[in-house]
Amino acid sequence: MNPIRDCGRRIEDLSDYLETGFSADAAHIEHCPQCQARLAGLRSLHTAALNLMDDDVASLSGEGTGWLDGMLANLRLETRAGRSIPLASNTADLLTETEGAVIALVRNVGDSLGGVLIGRCRLDGEVTVPGAPVEVNVNVSARYGYPLPVMAEDLRAAILTELLVETELNVAAVNVAFTDMREPLAEPGRTDGGGL
Amino acid sequence: MTRSNPPAGRLADAPDALLAERAGDGDVAAFETLARRHGPLMRAYSRRLMSSPAEADDVVQESLITAWKEIGDLRDGAAVKAWLMRIVAHRAVDAGRRRKSHGNIADHPEAIDKAPGPEQSAVAGSASQALRRALAGLPDEQRRCWVLKEYGGQSYEEIAQTLGISATSVRGRLARARTTLVTEMEEWR
Repeated sequence: MNPIRDCGRRIEDLSDYLETGFSADAAHIEHCPQCQARLAGLRSLHTAALNLMDDDVASLSGEGTGWLDGMLANLRLETRAGRSIPLASNTADLLTETEGAVIALVRNVGDSLGGVLIGRCRLDGEVTVPGAPVEVNVNVSARYGYPLPVMAEDLRAAILTELLVETELNVAAVNVAFTDMREPLAEPGRTDGGGL
Repeated sequence: MTRSNPPAGRLADAPDALLAERAGDGDVAAFETLARRHGPLMRAYSRRLMSSPAEADDVVQESLITAWKEIGDLRDGAAVKAWLMRIVAHRAVDAGRRRKSHGNIADHPEAIDKAPGPEQSAVAGSASQALRRALAGLPDEQRRCWVLKEYGGQSYEEIAQTLGISATSVRGRLARARTTLVTEMEEWR
């Protein structure tokens, strides 16, 4: 920066211009050698910043995952219980199971089917009232290459069966929404948990 | 103790949004997959914000606890990476405040230089090394603003909120930080 011939533009104006591509002062900036030099400086700073972060992430990734293993082990993530679902046949003892446990059950059913990954799962209805109708709504990510109607039907049936066996919920419907498609596996072989 | 839940392999190529939904529903394996995917970035970011690797790791750990508690409320699962970075920024600023209130000498810029990692000598003379040195010389409050902007992608208003200062102060600090950094990078060249 040459203080004698300073054009008076502030560095924040230049970095705003760099960020947004817009400035009321663009006509000056585009033709002022000093502004252009400072823009070039800001651009190289930005590039150097990205490179520095890449270097840092690469060197940290190179350290392995030991630090994270320890951290995750120490987290002791508490489970999410959700609502309490009464078990009608045990009303005398007021036994219940948690909504969180039922949702985990649904998730596991999905994970046992080829190509399926279950995302969000919601039990809609008065699950705390024995016998009240409940709808199960699941978001599903499908592996590309599986026929979706068949996948949806198989998943619905599997979830229904599992909930009939494992819970006392009155399941009125299981609704499957495909929210995502995943790339096919690199190998044609099934490392994804078997076919449908 | 390592938790290698069987589903973890299945989750390896699951998109962030799906993992965030599962984690929000209580799936520990999905949360761990997210933590492994973005952990190195969270750690590098935290090191740029904190004065020592040990403090930076404390911040990452606290951030993961916060993330697990709050991921059920995350609206846009696809934005989980930016969300994690914001949590790191907040925990880092909190940790910085705690440290100051405990009467320790306020952040020593010169200590920052030790933060980045073990490979410094390997890149001596590189632009990265020059920037590392220049950053280490910045006053702490300028460096934080710059890191939150450059790596956290935060707007002036967000930085102001994170740091509890005015947006005008943020602009001023960022301008001073950029002027110094650009000048030092030019001298290095």
